[in-house]
Amino acid sequence: MGKYYNLDNMLKPKSVAIIGASQNPEKVGHIIMQNYFNVGYSGDIYPVNASALKDTSILGKKAFKSVLDIKRQIDLAVIAIPAKFVLQALEECGKAKVKSVIIVSSGFSEVGDAALQDKLVEVAKRYELPVLGPNCLGVMDLRSRVDTMFLPTFKIDKPSIGGVSFASQSGAVGSTVLDLISHENFGLSKFISYGNAMVIDEADILNYLGHDPDTKVIIFYIEGVKRGKKFIEVAKEVTKLKPVIIIKGGITPAGSSAAHSHTASLAGSYAAYEAVFEQYGFIQAKSLDEMLYYAKIFVAQPLTTKKRVAIITNGGGVGVLAADSLYLNGLDMAELSDEAKKALRKVMPPIVNMSMPMDMAGDADDKRFGAAIDVLSKDPEVDALMIISLFQTPGADSRVASTIIKYGTEINKPIVVVSPGGSYAEVHNNMMESSGVPVYPSPEDAAKALAALVKYAKYKQRNEKVGKAAKKK
Amino acid sequence: MSSLMDYMEAYKLLGKYGIKALRASYVLNSGEAVKFSNGKPIVMKLISDKALHKSKSGLVKLNLSSAEDIKSAYDELVKRGQGLKPYKILVQDQVSNGTEIIIGGNTDPQFGKLILLGLGGIYVEVFKDVSVRVCPITEYDASEMIDNLKSKKIIAADDKNEEIVKNLLIKVSKFLVQNEGITELDLNPIILHDGTYDAVDLRLMKG
Repeated sequence: MGKYYNLDNMLKPKSVAIIGASQNPEKVGHIIMQNYFNVGYSGDIYPVNASALKDTSILGKKAFKSVLDIKRQIDLAVIAIPAKFVLQALEECGKAKVKSVIIVSSGFSEVGDAALQDKLVEVAKRYELPVLGPNCLGVMDLRSRVDTMFLPTFKIDKPSIGGVSFASQSGAVGSTVLDLISHENFGLSKFISYGNAMVIDEADILNYLGHDPDTKVIIFYIEGVKRGKKFIEVAKEVTKLKPVIIIKGGITPAGSSAAHSHTASLAGSYAAYEAVFEQYGFIQAKSLDEMLYYAKIFVAQPLTTKKRVAIITNGGGVGVLAADSLYLNGLDMAELSDEAKKALRKVMPPIVNMSMPMDMAGDADDKRFGAAIDVLSKDPEVDALMIISLFQTPGADSRVASTIIKYGTEINKPIVVVSPGGSYAEVHNNMMESSGVPVYPSPEDAAKALAALVKYAKYKQRNEKVGKAAKKK
Repeated sequence: MSSLMDYMEAYKLLGKYGIKALRASYVLNSGEAVKFSNGKPIVMKLISDKALHKSKSGLVKLNLSSAEDIKSAYDELVKRGQGLKPYKILVQDQVSNGTEIIIGGNTDPQFGKLILLGLGGIYVEVFKDVSVRVCPITEYDASEMIDNLKSKKIIAADDKNEEIVKNLLIKVSKFLVQNEGITELDLNPIILHDGTYDAVDLRLMKG
């Protein structure tokens, strides 16, 4: 792990200096400091402001003119001052032996000032400083109560604590997705917005989150990577450990005019990224919605390499759509074993046909749902379950949701629920999702998520085998 | 600035990696071409940096076996070559009918060498049904490259063809990795026929 930066000092600091902290509530430095208080950070906070006087205090804390004046161990310095002052501030962080730095400020390579950014890199390397940014939102770790974001708390909802970590090159995508995640029922572990990736880049972040025990699933928004070969090296290891859902922004068309061959125009930059994602076990999402749909199945459901899906429904039409969506996503419809059919026959009313998708009729209640899930969960011919619970039907109520939760958290086969609808459905969907049963608005979305789960499970199994075989040799 | 490697040089270099192209030679006059043919059907091509799409621009003459045909084809190519100087005239064995595929290589600034597989000939640009991987590829990657194509059943019509394409992909990947200086490669088309294959056209770009 030695080759990559460890981000612990950044995400779990015992002491933080906020360079650019200000009494003016409109300043970024003020908002960042206020956020530290709002999330209940328990370490030491040192506001730094170049115009601080001897007795200046900011938000009740004694202010310093420079990090050099603090004379205590600083685990993290957050720099939020205009670009032209950043170089000096970083140099001082180096001299003060600060353990890690986040540069929130913008005005560097992203606006064409590569020269200034190069100078920062030189300082960072000289002091061996792990630096995140510049031009980023910084980090958020809900467990250690760290939040360097400069977005006022009333503008963005905060997710609950959970197992999904999210890294984003873009700050805007980052804050938008955080806001979206806070309305999902899975929680967030860590958020890292890394901007220009001047020192700490995608490979470092993937490596860190890959080895972070609190992170079960990683979601990653990238526009490009800095060190392609390193990124692949880390990906090979990390995608074997945990699912990494990736979304690539900036799909540029291959410059075919500049190409000398067929291949150059067909295997351009985006094709290269797709190849990397495909080859090294990433789960590629094509939209933000898809990204969240994948996150919620991976964080809560077991993997399966087999793909025979049983569908039960309390509405025939949606069942047919579900059957189509399995096929379109390369999944198979399960064929129930004779024992399962026999067992179901006993508990289902005569109108229920034993073939897939099994339509349990509009009056299906919790008992019917429970009996069906129970039988299917034990049938060796079934690898995963898609449960369509239309809460608009007469039989479906909170007891159905509770039954699905009971089985969804107990059985060792992946379960997805399809439950489109309005506020009544919504209440039950939230109940189910808070317990780790992923709910989707349509069979297509559910099937896509299951297909991604199976694909990843196969990748993992294949590479574990390869790993074991290599060890034996 | 990249430049196209001489055809025969490329032919020999790929040969070292077990990548087999059709028997070929440059000719300086029609007599040499007749000698190369020795009564068997041949193909004659005009090779020039200024002509990328040979089949589109009529710079390929197929299925020539009589001395007269060879001579008139040679004369015509020479005439056409006046605007494409410098050029060379290459003769090759006439290929058997079969399935045309393309195997290509490119260099990505971030990830290095890429390898590409698709249905070949004129179709590659129309359908853009290709799969791409980062080199070096494993045997599994090679299988997946075939599996991911819509034209899978055309390319890997039987197990034998699938095996040929798989092995060829692995050889080309190895070639690309070991030859840093080759930044782009087009083997287009490669013709799969009678349980074997022939690379018919080779383009190697040096970075």
